[in-house]
Amino acid sequence: MEQPALTISGYSLDYLTPRGVHHALVDIDLAIARGEVLGLVGESGSGKTSLAWSIMRYLPGNARENGGRILLGRDDLRAMAPAAIEEIRGRRIGMVFQDPSTSLNPTLSLGIQLAEVLERHRGLTRRQAWREGEQMLARVGLKDPPGMMRRYPHEASGGEKQRVVIAQAFACQPECILFDEPTTALDVITARQILELFAELQAETGVASLYISHDLALVSRVADRVAVLHHGNMVEQGQVAGVFGAPREAYTRRLVAAVPRPDRRLVAELGPAEAAAAPLVAARGVSVEYGRPSAIARLFGRDRAPVVGNRAVSLDVRPGEIVGVVGESGSGKSTLARALTGLNPFSGEIVFDGRPVRGIADMDGAYRRDVQIIFQHPDSSLNPRQRIGEILARPLRLHDRLPGAAEAARIGELLEQVRLPATYAGRYPHQLSGGEKQRVAIARAFATAPRLVICDEITSALDVSVQAAVIELLLDLRRRHGTAYLFITHDLNLVRQIAHRIAVMYRGDLVEVLDAQAFSAGPTHPYTRSLVAAVPVPVG
Amino acid sequence: MSPAYALKRCGLIVYTLLVVSLIVFAITQVLPADAATMLLGENATAEALAAVRERLGLEAPVWLQYARWLGGVVQGDFGTSLRTGLPVAPLMMEALGRSLLLALLSILLMLAIAVPLGVIAAVRRGRAADLIVSVLSYVGVSLPEFVTATVFVLVLADWLQILPASGYVAPTQDPLRALQHLALPVLTVSVILVAHVSRMVRSELVDVLHSDYVRAARLKGMKPRTVLLRHGLRNALLPTITIVALDVGYLLGGVIVVEEIFAIPGIGRQLIVAIQARDLPAIQAGALIMAATYSVANFAADLAYAWLDKRIQYD
Repeated sequence: MEQPALTISGYSLDYLTPRGVHHALVDIDLAIARGEVLGLVGESGSGKTSLAWSIMRYLPGNARENGGRILLGRDDLRAMAPAAIEEIRGRRIGMVFQDPSTSLNPTLSLGIQLAEVLERHRGLTRRQAWREGEQMLARVGLKDPPGMMRRYPHEASGGEKQRVVIAQAFACQPECILFDEPTTALDVITARQILELFAELQAETGVASLYISHDLALVSRVADRVAVLHHGNMVEQGQVAGVFGAPREAYTRRLVAAVPRPDRRLVAELGPAEAAAAPLVAARGVSVEYGRPSAIARLFGRDRAPVVGNRAVSLDVRPGEIVGVVGESGSGKSTLARALTGLNPFSGEIVFDGRPVRGIADMDGAYRRDVQIIFQHPDSSLNPRQRIGEILARPLRLHDRLPGAAEAARIGELLEQVRLPATYAGRYPHQLSGGEKQRVAIARAFATAPRLVICDEITSALDVSVQAAVIELLLDLRRRHGTAYLFITHDLNLVRQIAHRIAVMYRGDLVEVLDAQAFSAGPTHPYTRSLVAAVPVPVG
Repeated sequence: MSPAYALKRCGLIVYTLLVVSLIVFAITQVLPADAATMLLGENATAEALAAVRERLGLEAPVWLQYARWLGGVVQGDFGTSLRTGLPVAPLMMEALGRSLLLALLSILLMLAIAVPLGVIAAVRRGRAADLIVSVLSYVGVSLPEFVTATVFVLVLADWLQILPASGYVAPTQDPLRALQHLALPVLTVSVILVAHVSRMVRSELVDVLHSDYVRAARLKGMKPRTVLLRHGLRNALLPTITIVALDVGYLLGGVIVVEEIFAIPGIGRQLIVAIQARDLPAIQAGALIMAATYSVANFAADLAYAWLDKRIQYD
């Protein structure tokens, strides 16, 4: 049998922390053959990235390896001296990172950063490396390679930068390349193009690839085999269709079940009466512009065209309805949320429950009580110096002014409503997990018994199983209180599970609003169609 | 940086200087005694005062006095010194030249010491070398100038007798002796500034070395030296440029003690003399010249920053 390009056997890794030993990886076995793609999936903290650092021999000072072998071809990487490892990195093992905007040096041109790899490992002169670099850029599908070589990272788009990073990884024809969430930081459509490039280069070069991702649907699309990590243990490993289609282990089953599937609806459709109800909120031609001229620009009397956040968006939300808003980053999704909550000045009109709201001044106590927002990152939306009880007491004091004992009881109720123990009131946010913090943020939004809750990417920072639990909680709260949601997300599969209607935004414009059935039947607008086509649908 | 922006920045410098000139002029106006009283003393007769006021144009309305003064300034005429009776401008410009020479040499020496120290401290972070660098640079910054200067004079001029203790020789006269005379003051000033910049380089470099792109460079197999210099230090030095430009301001006005100890007739020393003698035209000239130098230094720093970091786009 042919020697695999990468073999890991019996490998264990611990981190020594002030709180004791953390077992990051336990007895890992895997092998990747030439030309094969092994997908590595797991939730945050499962050890996916630790495994990548172990292979690259890039471990922090507090890491302790407890036996096992990492073989590149027949060479034991663990036995190599640092100087030998430097020779291997970039030449025999390449790596593609998550975020191309931080993994490229901002003050060096793209050409220099690509050419230096070729100079270092293939002994080319700067001139030869530059010419070779241009060919590499052409190969990764960049237009105008000579021009791109001279550009700086800030002068290229995210997709272009990731192509340059990929060109670097493939530059020296390595035996093995590690891909660490290479499309997570990119827009859906760009990510799709990068995946196509990956598949093409993979087939062409026959490199062995370790593809690390938290996105099961995506891995099922790119990988031949898949390995599932959980708390540093290899839970299951095998062909993609087998592992995702018929998981043997309980953990894998839970993971697969948590992946949003557009065909599995989680909400009851609105009845005819509900669907015909007068809108709770109606945005009429709401526009937001960013960027006021600076004091100096005004001094010199220069007009600057403002940046458009949204252009004349009109959208209704009926009582108890879930309206999904999807689009790429920068499409104006969050801007809409900020206008509706008065965080941004806007022009146009919002009609709330038949009452016109023409600006922030019209958003009185009643409006604020009825319209609440939950943000993406609970870490930044919860005050780290306040206990959970104080955080939840703020809206209660503002709107309800309950006596002390009643307030404490209400805080307990709110916590239990989001399935957290009432004793959490005495804790600080940093003592909670990410999912628990987001539950606190949800409890805070529901403290005033709102009629509309705006959810701005509230599950994007969460693991898939935590996301499933949060979504289930939101749907449960809606059943109990009849709350309407404006659910902003970039996750098309998720929104198709829960939204009654889906609004698609593109570059500040509302492209179309479709009800869920029409969306599944096939959207009409070309942008929506390309969006749907770009999103991988889970297998199994 | 677009030419239009550069032009606009020049315009802003002029605007800044105009404001400074207004403030400087206003301060001399609100002083309890006017130039004539200062010139003749408290006991002068009313007739003598009136005659001097007539001669200096002090009877004219304030705005006209300001306009006349400003008119002279733009032509390089800062008026006549009340102390010496000579034109102020040449005196002050010469003093500025000496101070700038001191400043330039001090900055060069300081960078030559501070950058390597900062790099060593960052690379050996948390180890003995880091601690030693940090202690030494704090000693440098916390000792008063006159102590540092005295120690240098004692060791290098008095005991070893390899450098002159004080005095100033123009470099146009005798470059070698000029350098010898400047050596001690430059050394003293550099020691004070080193802490600033070495701490800055250290903390910036520590951040940069933890950045994703430095990790990416390491994982591309670049040699440690290339990673440190090309990817690390280059980016870590950018904020240092701004610090150095701020130091120029300190070097022009703040090193009066050093100029005094080493008897260098720099602009700081001239300004002190002018203030003691209540020589209003000289004070105005000194303040304005220092403001101008400071503005230009900051502008130069911005230009350098934009040249090194292509992300910075002034428009």
